[in-house]
Amino acid sequence: MHEHIFKRFDAELDDIRARITQMGGLVEEQMRAAMTALGGEDRELIELVIARDAGVDQMELSIDAACAHIIARRQPTAIDLRMIMAVSKIVTDLERIGDEVKKIAKGARKIFEQGMGGCLTQVTEIRYVGERVLDMLHDVLDAFVRVDADAALAIIRRDKEVDESFRSIVRQLVTFMMEDPRTISTALDIIFIARSVERIGDHTKNIARDVIFIAKGEDVRHTVLGKQGMEGENAQ
Amino acid sequence: MNAAALALLLLALAGALAIALALQIRQRNALRDWLIAPDLHPLPDGRGVWYEIFSRLRKTRKQEQLRRAELGNALERFRLAVQSLPEGVMLLDTQMHIEWLNDAACRQFALDAVRDPGTLAVQLIRQSEFRQLIDSYRARPVKQSTLLRAGSNGEERVLSVTLLPFAATGTLLVATDVTEQVRSELGQRDFIANVSHELRTPLTVITGFLEQFNGDDPPTGEMARRFHRLMAEQAERMNRLIADLLTLSSLESSGQPPRDEVIDVPALLETLRNEALALSAGRHAIDITDSSAGKLRGSADELRSAFGNLVFNAVRYTPAGGKITMAWRLIDGQPTFAVTDTGIGIPPEHIPRLTERFYRVDKGRSTAVGGTGLGLAIVKHVLVRHGGMLKIDSVPGKGSIFTVALPADRRA
Repeated sequence: MHEHIFKRFDAELDDIRARITQMGGLVEEQMRAAMTALGGEDRELIELVIARDAGVDQMELSIDAACAHIIARRQPTAIDLRMIMAVSKIVTDLERIGDEVKKIAKGARKIFEQGMGGCLTQVTEIRYVGERVLDMLHDVLDAFVRVDADAALAIIRRDKEVDESFRSIVRQLVTFMMEDPRTISTALDIIFIARSVERIGDHTKNIARDVIFIAKGEDVRHTVLGKQGMEGENAQ
Repeated sequence: MNAAALALLLLALAGALAIALALQIRQRNALRDWLIAPDLHPLPDGRGVWYEIFSRLRKTRKQEQLRRAELGNALERFRLAVQSLPEGVMLLDTQMHIEWLNDAACRQFALDAVRDPGTLAVQLIRQSEFRQLIDSYRARPVKQSTLLRAGSNGEERVLSVTLLPFAATGTLLVATDVTEQVRSELGQRDFIANVSHELRTPLTVITGFLEQFNGDDPPTGEMARRFHRLMAEQAERMNRLIADLLTLSSLESSGQPPRDEVIDVPALLETLRNEALALSAGRHAIDITDSSAGKLRGSADELRSAFGNLVFNAVRYTPAGGKITMAWRLIDGQPTFAVTDTGIGIPPEHIPRLTERFYRVDKGRSTAVGGTGLGLAIVKHVLVRHGGMLKIDSVPGKGSIFTVALPADRRA
């Protein structure tokens, strides 16, 4: 779309983009594994998810360093600056998602160790909501790669359903705890897991906002350059 | 006089020359225009040597157009063939950007044929296995494959993805959906593992108690009676399991069920209700709301086993205080049996696999409530033999409806 005089700069930007998607892929896999492990009997999978979170953290550090490096060396402006700012925000959100996934895995370990009590249905429901969130995460990363503001907007709307499901799960569990105080400890663990899933939905929404930011930035650029065709296409 | 005639002749000659020249220039211009845009400026007929040149040119062009059309057709047919392959096909360039992909690949990886070409494949297919495959292929560009999990909305597919060199610098990606194969291979392996496991568990308990009796201080009195009871329970469990296995195997090997045998289904439902009440021991309300579909032709033993399994499952998976209803009525002319419960329900992702042998939504729970893991497999087999269909509707936490629809011509 646009090229810099310094080819190296383009290569560096591409490299950052590639690393973000790689990190996103890892986070997606972590989330998928956590959802499989939740309420299941695969203790090894749970431990694997917890152990692999260090890899996510490592990637955050290295992408952040790369961003700082570009800002210092190239003093990017306009679209490039927006892109790098958005990328560094996306990295933070991805890392937080990684943390929430780790919390889910730890919760899954607790459920596994204590037996589920009577909360089987809620765990199943969380898994169901989790699958929806996972789809959102997948789609938002696709939207980032495709710089697709429409898709990002659709994801922001989907997050509302996740929030509603979370409230419904909490309501059910509160009823549970009132009926039988012995379930309080298990129910709380499950609420924390549900909370993590809901937080992942929120972080996904943040990423979607950053994608729109990047896309709209390009829009402006195209008008400045007078690329009418592109402008009309993007304006929809 | 002579000079005047000469001048006239010269003038006529000059006129003729001018006309000939104009003609030549016109035809030359026509040729030039044709060379620039052959479709907009067709060649005139031409005169003299031009006629010869123009007709040759027209002929050559026509032949060339024909050849091009043929080539285009062949190419288009080839493209359509690749497009409609059930395998996903993708062309990648040296940097592993997507160049072109067919419909199947779009579906398999949730890609967009218009927008996504030009993007790095690893950015859209983010599984780490795929990244590893690409890395290893770039290090050594020979045919390489890997298995990949893909899919969304809770539907997971397993893809076998192969990369191979193509033309001079390109890479061809071929993706085959192997979900069913992986599943059935796992199923086979699981079945044997499951049978062994299911048989060994009760045996371990029995052997354990027997060792107690063999020891220096054999149990007596109350303790002996308790051990006895536990051993008998486990033996009974093995009995049930083996009976179910035998039922399954006989269902698989025998021919079509008889049509002359008439089953009094309403009476059968009454019997099942009494048996279910006994199993429930007062924990559930069990009712028959409708038995208007009357009698049925088929195998009494098999249908009794199929309907029974559905009703007893409802009792097992419904918490105390729940309600179970049976209904036997005609729906669109088809005799239909439905069992509705207010039980724990089944998460949607498990429903398609419920009729697999030993498939369990929750392993711990199923054995605890006394299931063998073969009940729904038996139901499915019986229905297949009677030409019926099993439908499962369920909402986790709310309850399930198991519906059996039998063909209309089986009514008696």
